[in-house]
Amino acid sequence: MDLEQRLELATRGTVEIIQRTELAKLLEEKKTPRAYWGFECSGKQAHACTE
Amino acid sequence: MMHIGQGLVCGSKIQDMVDAGLHFTIFLADWHSMINNKYGGDMEKIRTTGRYFKHCFTALGVPEDRVEYLWASELAEQSGYWEKVLRVAKATTTQRVMRALPIMGREMKSQDTEAASIFYPCMQAADIFQMRLDVACAGIDQRKAHILAREAGEKLAWGKPVSLHTPLLIGLAGVQDAEKGSFDEDPKISQVIAAKMSKSRPENNILIHDEPTVIDQKIRKAFCPPGVVEGNPLLEYYHILVFGRSEPVFLKRDSKYGGDLNINSYEELETHYKSGKIHPQDLKNNMTQILSDKLKGVRLYFKKHPEPLEEMHRLKAS
Repeated sequence: MDLEQRLELATRGTVEIIQRTELAKLLEEKKTPRAYWGFECSGKQAHACTE
Repeated sequence: MMHIGQGLVCGSKIQDMVDAGLHFTIFLADWHSMINNKYGGDMEKIRTTGRYFKHCFTALGVPEDRVEYLWASELAEQSGYWEKVLRVAKATTTQRVMRALPIMGREMKSQDTEAASIFYPCMQAADIFQMRLDVACAGIDQRKAHILAREAGEKLAWGKPVSLHTPLLIGLAGVQDAEKGSFDEDPKISQVIAAKMSKSRPENNILIHDEPTVIDQKIRKAFCPPGVVEGNPLLEYYHILVFGRSEPVFLKRDSKYGGDLNINSYEELETHYKSGKIHPQDLKNNMTQILSDKLKGVRLYFKKHPEPLEEMHRLKAS
């Protein structure tokens, strides 16, 4: 997979990236960049999506 | 119980990131949940839910061997963690921390915020630096916490994490009956959060466990006036869950209404809907089918592994 394809995968369906240029540089330069998503552990349906 | 906002929006994004070659940590924020009074701050219940989330993401196509799971309580035990929380707190102001507070069911203006809440955004930033992350992903409602992390990181010379934000999925009732309240300075985000918060009505959200008949019942009642785009959850679901995944739509339609239709972009769908070429019922029937297909694997997984779901039902009942 080339850089363009990886960038497209990482960015599709997002509403904002701060900053896209930083992400492109990261994918280009770092072998395995580290990412995360934090989840609050709640059984309620509302906004358990994010921390 | 996990709804499709978390399951499909977050789950697919995590999959994308792994496929794009990133190392991905799913961070189970038990301490943060406690601060936010989830289950009244009962850590045992919070952890039961975290363990259930692991099963959900596995069922959604993010297998355990492709991601790393980490509990906030494990991270907080590492040496240097609490120092980072304090360093972040030193690098920002109370005002900025208050603005970055999670909106979980409380209005920004409320005066009786527990003092523990102040730790929350500082911990969110410290988490990022302690895990040595390059990219922080979250829903758009978390942007202020991420900006705080970026600003603190720059001041402390720890680097600025890239922030990647996904849209928030509105409930089936749409945003027209949004509860009143100020949850964000951006009125649109505030409105979406308010709409998301109508948690008193379970029929407002589709769960990842819902059977096709249940999905059908819920979608039937969804807000979807003919030709109306604004605040229309059905169109949003196509936008985010289908076209956002670069998937085209083959809209099945009765031949007396013009027959099946290939749609390649969200803009095309919106134009057809506005002009009345596509009827609400077509949007609804096809979305029911799309969601039933997307969630098939989850239903099969939990049929084979019923325990975590049963545990969640017991929590709910207790």
